[in-house]
Amino acid sequence: MANEMNSPLSVRGLCKNYPEFQLKDLSFTLEAGKITGFIGRNGAGKTTTINSVLSLIHPDAGEVRFGGLLQEEHTREIMEKIGFVSAGMTYYTRKTLKTITGITKTFFPGWDNTAYRKHMESFGLSEDKTPAELSNGMKIKYALTLALSHGADLFILDEPTSGLDPISREELVEVFLRLRDLGKTVFFSTHITSDLEKCADRILFLQKGELKADDSLSAFQAAYRILECSGSVPPEAEKAAKGICRIRNGYTVLLAKEDADTMEETREATLEEIMVHLEKEGETC
Amino acid sequence: MLKLLKKEFTLCMHPTGYIMLLGALLVLIPGYPYPVSCFYMGLAIYFICLTARENHDASYTLTLPVSREDAVRARIRMACCLEAALLVLIGLMILLKQAIGNTPNPAGLDAGVALIGDCCITFAIFNMIFFPGYYRDINKPGKAFFLASVAVFAWVALVVVATYVVPFFRDVLDQPDPAFMSDKLLFTLGGLVLFLAGTAWAENRSARKFAQVDLNL
Repeated sequence: MANEMNSPLSVRGLCKNYPEFQLKDLSFTLEAGKITGFIGRNGAGKTTTINSVLSLIHPDAGEVRFGGLLQEEHTREIMEKIGFVSAGMTYYTRKTLKTITGITKTFFPGWDNTAYRKHMESFGLSEDKTPAELSNGMKIKYALTLALSHGADLFILDEPTSGLDPISREELVEVFLRLRDLGKTVFFSTHITSDLEKCADRILFLQKGELKADDSLSAFQAAYRILECSGSVPPEAEKAAKGICRIRNGYTVLLAKEDADTMEETREATLEEIMVHLEKEGETC
Repeated sequence: MLKLLKKEFTLCMHPTGYIMLLGALLVLIPGYPYPVSCFYMGLAIYFICLTARENHDASYTLTLPVSREDAVRARIRMACCLEAALLVLIGLMILLKQAIGNTPNPAGLDAGVALIGDCCITFAIFNMIFFPGYYRDINKPGKAFFLASVAVFAWVALVVVATYVVPFFRDVLDQPDPAFMSDKLLFTLGGLVLFLAGTAWAENRSARKFAQVDLNL
């Protein structure tokens, strides 16, 4: 419990029911100063979770605490310490960044103009531009600049790299690592798992509204192995498979580490392979 | 609240909010249902809400350290500022028209003191229907605007008819100023009270509704 009280974000028993989708009893605790990747396929419930955490939607059950403070009782204090960035969400596209910043800073008592200038310069942003004139990557950098300037300690990022080219994604990953170096906590939802392999410390894996894994990236990856089969899948591998995918010359089989130890020629699984294969768990080849 | 109001005027204002203030000039037309200028301002408020949706205003505002209730109140108070400005300008146009020679209006109340009360009631009706409907689903302001427009035009039509068939409207309110001034002032005061009370009711109801809705932004 002490850990939960000190955590930048702690979620307990979060549930949200829609006719076609349920978020089921979600619980996790973020570690301060770490990057936590929140993965799952489209529709797994990542955005629903983030919207619930931010009180944009009302969960049917559960408790959300930021630094030990209950979300519904301390909204203002909490929002002063959070930076929320979502891909595709562009505010006031025809207003200059100068105008948007001028309004934004009035809401934050801890606004740091020096930090703002520094981050604008380091990201190569001009105040005279409008969001409509920025690339998607630059829009996210501007949103991060605002969050950094008002002293946010926790960055909640919903699919920040989706729709970006590989170079822009790489740049953003570097930004996230810089945030971690500054002692900030980053909670980063994505289905582009290769980005997380470069920066995440922990992984939360969400599948059909249920949290299937909450582990360090290395432990999560080490728990699985991949068996590549040309032709058919051996019966013992098929029996132990956590998921089987077709590839050009045969199949790849995801196996639990302990099952893989009894088989030859398995290799490390990438985060993407784990996610994709687990989505196919139970399907036969 | 002042910060949020500034945000509304700086980031959310649509140019029609200012342009529709020119609707006060309609009072100078000899025969016209003058409260229709209030509808034009309602149209501008609808455009402001539409623009806010296109600019993801709610997702910006709700990541600021403000409550949902205050966000609602700020938007409605901005609308009230525009409505109040239009009422003042209509008042000035009435004075101007009376100075240059007023003529009877066959399409509703004459340009006089009672017209201000009529416009206040028109705005009260718009605010009480539009805002609670809008804050039920901010992504679909069209339905709320349609219902508010129907109610506003029904009221405008009712007043036009009343100036022919209802004795109090025909023989008192629709007579040239300064005749029956105390009755007209009372009517206008009643309209102002309805405008303030109705808008306060709309504000509370909208804030309650908006606090309950799920925002999938």
